[in-house]
This record gives sequence, structure tokens and C-alpha cells, in this order.
Amino acid sequence: MSDTQWPRYEVFQQEAPDKPVLHNGSVHAPDIEMALLNARDVFARRPEASQLWVAAAERITSRTREELAAGEPAPSTAGEPQTYCLFGKLAQQAQASLLGEVQAASGAAAIATAQTDFEAQKVLRWWAVPLAALLKSDPAEADPMFAPAREKTYKDQAEYPVVTMMRKLRAGKRLDE
Amino acid sequence: MYGADVEQIAIELSEEPEKLADFEARIARGEKIEPGDWMPAEYRRQLIRMISQHAHSEVVGMLPEGAWITRAPSLRRKLILIAKVQDEAGHGQYLYHAAETLGATREEMLEALLSGKAKYSSIFNYHTTTWADNGAIGWLVDGAAILNQTMLARCSYGPYSRAMVRICMEENFHRKQGQEMIIRYSQGTPTQRAMVQDAITRWWWPTLMMFGPHDADSPNSGLLIRWGIKTRTNDQLRQEFVNQLAPDLQACGISIPDPDLRYDEASGNWLFGVIDWDEFWRVIKGDGPANAERMAARQQAHDDGRWVREALSAYAAKNQIQ
Repeated sequence: MSDTQWPRYEVFQQEAPDKPVLHNGSVHAPDIEMALLNARDVFARRPEASQLWVAAAERITSRTREELAAGEPAPSTAGEPQTYCLFGKLAQQAQASLLGEVQAASGAAAIATAQTDFEAQKVLRWWAVPLAALLKSDPAEADPMFAPAREKTYKDQAEYPVVTMMRKLRAGKRLDE
Repeated sequence: MYGADVEQIAIELSEEPEKLADFEARIARGEKIEPGDWMPAEYRRQLIRMISQHAHSEVVGMLPEGAWITRAPSLRRKLILIAKVQDEAGHGQYLYHAAETLGATREEMLEALLSGKAKYSSIFNYHTTTWADNGAIGWLVDGAAILNQTMLARCSYGPYSRAMVRICMEENFHRKQGQEMIIRYSQGTPTQRAMVQDAITRWWWPTLMMFGPHDADSPNSGLLIRWGIKTRTNDQLRQEFVNQLAPDLQACGISIPDPDLRYDEASGNWLFGVIDWDEFWRVIKGDGPANAERMAARQQAHDDGRWVREALSAYAAKNQIQ
């Protein structure tokens, strides 16, 4: 068997139920179930995770503002419409966040529609992800997926009072004073 | 695969002057360049070179500390060390992802690492000979890395910048656990104090080398700064590091192995002695204390994992047929 790389899956994460779903990065995996498990290992090592989504990178359509400004042929509207999740990058430093859903026949058509639907938002980069291409973490498995990280408080830099310790040493005191 | 000579770069940059001007104007406005946007070929090459080297450093960086997991002196220290090494694996993944958005494949990057073509941080070619080395790596090595990474978190390429923000947050845990360890041992038993002093003595100079050659010998710096990839030079970052560390180490009663180190009232800087650049180039070029050992360990890990990759691929293929 050849030892070549697996397909790439993009990873989306919601830090808490009231927070936006954000694009975070990608993982490689032989199939989408493994992609979700790999995403957990890579992106959910800290407590900030309540949901993970993965989708094969090849199913995602992306357009930057620069690409849209350069113009492109009108996207085809032929074919069966399906639901697309639309992600948009709203600030220079920001990750793309989930804006909503549209019905469209292709990713490019979904982005064209979204430009009107979400006109108020200044989107710097669009991503259209077919809902059918997404695998979302099962809410019933949220505990085994995400709870262990919450107990590992030693991963939090606030656990190490080095500023206070240095202040004591500089003042000529002992650490336990 | 990542190099281009000066003439070729000049030719490329003169080919599309309007696009180049727009690109540089975007960077001047503080905009982030995203995959899909136009960028000079050399911007792409420099980023792939930097990001993949950075990713390799995270991956190889697991080895010096990983060797101590089974010998940690307490359960708490063991949990911390496991979490830290696991973080480095994750950081490698974030960074390979960022390089992939520029068109590099994971496969060619791994191949470049395993074949010895790719570089990684020279610091990981030194041995960890006592437990206190893990503290020194956290405080000094990760502290130095954070200075560089905090700068890169503001870099002009969106995916690299975002990966850096996440990495910096997690690296602060790495630095502080190391600093806490060194502080405690420096106030501990005579044996602990001697162990900490020995560790700092060995790691001080290699850490200063991590910032790379002097600005005068750093051929890529000009373009990197012009395109907002770096905003500060190697020497500036190195000076800031010494300014931070020198007074703190001294407050712990640890002496720094540099007879020329002194505080300069006029500049507000801690002046330091001459770095052994022969050693730096020797280690970069493959002849450091542990280069061969690190590469052998990486190769073995890759080979040992092959059956897992094959099993997962076979399972995925079986499911696809059904």
C-alpha cells in the first residue's frame, strides 16, 4: 500500500453553545469519521470546545474579496439546489465564522446569493460548505469528546504564579512568605 | 524547492508591477493576505520556507522533552510534560495546515524533513541531560520562541497569523511551567540548585542562537520586513530576550555564563558577549550534538506508525466499497 497523504478536512469549532462556529484549521484523515477524531486531538486539547464540524476541503468553495472584485462568469444555476453553510471572515485578524445558510445549485452560486443576503456584513473572504458534506460531533458524545480537557487545569498558564514568585525573590523574600 | 536566487526574484517582481503595488498597499494598510489573493511568488516561497521550518521545529521539538516523560519526578510534573509534548504535536499540525494553504503538500514537507533537506530550529539538536533541562527549555527556549511568535501573530499572511495566535496562548503555559520549575529549584536543596545552574549554563548560549544570524548575515530579512511577515529583526528580538531573562535569572541566584553581560544605563539594554557563530552554523548544517539521533527518532516514529496508517486506510477503503 502506498504511503501517500490522506485527503484534507477543514475543521470548524464552537467554543461554547452561545459562541459562533469558527473555522480553525485542517487535518488529514482517511475518512470523515477519523477526521473528526483527529480534529478533537488537534483542536480540542483546551476546554474551549463544545462542538466540532469537519468537511472535506475539496467540497468547499472559497472566494476572497479580491477574487470577487476581479469578476468571474455568472455561476451556473443548473442542478439540484442544496443547503450551503456560509462562512465569512469579518475582520482582518478574524477566523471565518458561520453566518447562515442559503439554498443554491453550487458553491459559487451560494456565495453570489450570500453577498446579497448578508450585504450588511463586510465579508473579506467567503466559504460555502454543503451541509451534506459536514460531519458534526454528536451532542450525545460531547462529554467523552470535550469534558476531559476541562479537568486538566495544569494546561492553563494562570496555574503558574511566576509573576508573584519573581516579585518575592526581587524583594529578598522566601517563596513561602 | 523553496529557494530562488536574487536575479530570479528581481525578474519576478518586475513582471506584474501593478499587482505588486496593490499587494504592498494592502500590507501597508494592515490587511491580511488570504489564500486565493494575489501574492508575489517570492512571498509564497518565503512563507512556505518559514512555516514548514517552524512546523518541523515543533515536531522535532517533542523529542528532547519526550525522553523525560517516563522519568518525571512527580505525577504533576509528568502530566504537565505529557500535555506540553502533546501541544507541540498540535502546533506542528496547525503550522503544516498554514503552509498547505500556500500550495505546499503535507507529503512533500514530511519528505523534506525525513530526508534531511529541511531545516528546523538548531536548539533541538542539543541533549537534555538532566531533569532540570525541561525547566530550562520551558523558560528559555519557549520564552525565546514566544517573542518570535508574538511578532508572527501580527504577520501579513492570515492563516499563519491565526495559527500563531493560538500557539502563543498555549506556549505561555509551556514557558510558565518551566519558569516555575526553575524558580522553585533555584530556592530548593543544594542539589536542586546545582542542577538548575548546570542546566542554565548549558542552554543559555544555544537559546541566544535560536534567534538566527546577526541582521547583517540574514539575507531574507529585508523582504520579510517589507512584506510584513516579520516586523522585527533577529538582533532586536535577541536583545529583548536578554533584557527579560538576565535580571530574572539573577534574581533567582542563577549566574549566566557570560562574563561580558552587564546592564547599560545609557541604552537600557543588557549587553552580552560574542555568540559562537561557528557552533551555530555547525549545528544548523547537521553536525550538532544530537542531529543524527533526532532524525533517526523521527524516521523510526514514521516507520513505526506505518501499520496504523495502513490499517486506517484499509478500513476507510472497505467502508467506501460497502
